[in-house]
Amino acid sequence: MTDLRYGELEQELRGTVREMLSAQSPPEQVLARCEGGDPYDPKLWRTLAAEMGLAGLAVPERYGGGGAGWREAAVVLEELGRAVAPVPYLGSAVVATAVLRAVDDRALLTDLAAGAATAALAAPFATAPGPPTDPTVRAAGDNLTGTVRGVADALHADVLLVPTGDGLFAVPADTPGVGRHPLVTLDLTRPLCDLSLAAAPGWRLAAGPESARAVAAGLTAGAALLASEQLGVAEWCLDTTVEYVRTRYQFARPVGSFQALKHRLADLWVEIAQARAVARHAAGCLATGDPDTPVATALAQAFCAPVAVHAAEECVQLHGGIGFTWEHPAHLYLKRAKSGAIGFGTADRHRATLATLVDLPG
Amino acid sequence: MKTVVLVKQVPDSGAERRLRDADHTIERESADNLINEMDDYAIEEALRLQEAHGGEVTILTMGPTQAAESIRKALSMGPDQAVHVLDDALAGSCAVATSAVLAAALRTLSPDLVLSGAESTDGRVQAMPHMVAERLGIAALTGARKLTVGGDGTLTVERQTDEGYEVVTAATPAVVSVWDTINEPRYPSFKGIMAAKKKPVSVLSLADLGIDPGEVGTAGATSAVVSHQERPARSAGQKIIDQGDGGVKLVEFLASEKFV
Repeated sequence: MTDLRYGELEQELRGTVREMLSAQSPPEQVLARCEGGDPYDPKLWRTLAAEMGLAGLAVPERYGGGGAGWREAAVVLEELGRAVAPVPYLGSAVVATAVLRAVDDRALLTDLAAGAATAALAAPFATAPGPPTDPTVRAAGDNLTGTVRGVADALHADVLLVPTGDGLFAVPADTPGVGRHPLVTLDLTRPLCDLSLAAAPGWRLAAGPESARAVAAGLTAGAALLASEQLGVAEWCLDTTVEYVRTRYQFARPVGSFQALKHRLADLWVEIAQARAVARHAAGCLATGDPDTPVATALAQAFCAPVAVHAAEECVQLHGGIGFTWEHPAHLYLKRAKSGAIGFGTADRHRATLATLVDLPG
Repeated sequence: MKTVVLVKQVPDSGAERRLRDADHTIERESADNLINEMDDYAIEEALRLQEAHGGEVTILTMGPTQAAESIRKALSMGPDQAVHVLDDALAGSCAVATSAVLAAALRTLSPDLVLSGAESTDGRVQAMPHMVAERLGIAALTGARKLTVGGDGTLTVERQTDEGYEVVTAATPAVVSVWDTINEPRYPSFKGIMAAKKKPVSVLSLADLGIDPGEVGTAGATSAVVSHQERPARSAGQKIIDQGDGGVKLVEFLASEKFV
């Protein structure tokens, strides 16, 4: 049984990450970056990945990693969710790292751990873990051609990990033949892009079933840990709203003293407490390679995505007029929650997976 | 080079701070205690000097049991070890007594360089670096915005003043206090947080330092706080309704307060 509590080390890690994010990436700065057209914050990524050594948390120590694991990475993601930080942690330090761990690629893992490079799995952000779909990229020798739509954390990635019918390839993103086309997305803090490959040269990381296993490992890690990011989004929404209803006065009393608001927030608190348990369980299972990981992942994704959306909606609503303004960061959280609800498969899809996994009669 | 950084745990200056009614000392139990902000810059400067010139960095803290938390936090940034002066008799020590204790602890460490923040966010006296240097009979280069170490070990400091800066030099050993303009402190890395748990922290009592408990703490304080009261709540302002004479009334108000 996974221990759902946070250890002393995890608490210290959380404190450090939160302190850094509140100083280096407060919500108003995230909003200003989004308005500037490109939310990606390279300085923030350098601090997080290289200086604090957090990109390598799940990379083995022999490759220069932190020698920690997915539980610690999950704590970082909770804080990144709380800050809707526009950095490619989920795509590079989780999904791509899990793929590269599965194929044991020393060179790339070393670069990722050092924060010297980021990588992205060339799969649509909405791809759920599960039976592999037909790759949309084909390989002729080491040259790849095809299109992948709606890829997250790829716009600024240095290396693309591309699944093909002929195995898994690594392609440097600045290679001729690689096109990255930014999409107009609802979620401003996690930009997506379409990838087009026209005989782009790469090198093979794995072939056959090993390739499929590596991709599945990446998608499972992404789905399991996205739940922690969603938890962070939901927590920020609740905390910020509670603070607001305590200080916003109407009819000579704080609006939070009205039961209609109090009860909605209490319900949200309960949902978030449950979301924390399932997200921690998923991260714990992933960390120890527990055979229950597919169940824990499907459960976390089926549960946490709707909680994050609900929390963000309540945040917008209970803030009254100010919650609907562009200047208030609530909309960034609502949009992040909405995009996360599609990421790595929708809650419906994960419920269907869960039903099969736990032998519910159809 | 052997560097000791003086680190003080203080109540969060961003939160509300209170004094205890009984002895007029600051309420530490309920407050969120942090490393004094300016000391972070001193630690960073010590680590940069270590990276450039080698040597070792030691954290020196005097404070109650919960100061151990701040010591770990400081160690997670990268220093090698820490010394915690911990003794119940120290509670309520004045600046003069504190400087005696810190100086005694520094003598056991015999550092080449003592770094500290230029002031603490709770006391804001800015006297500790001078007092410690005086007791040790070494130079005090205070309020630094830049520190360089020459080949012969000479310290050169750009000393921040209201008008600009002064360049002062001294031979080691010396005390240097720094402002937040000197560098950008690092955040602890994950490996740093893990390593901090294994770093040695030696705890020294007054007996270890050969100091008579009667000379420190509330008993030995050279100054005493006799009373305190909370800042009065801000009262409602005076409203001036403009009936053609608003401007005149405003100027009258400013004149009554001697602003014009």
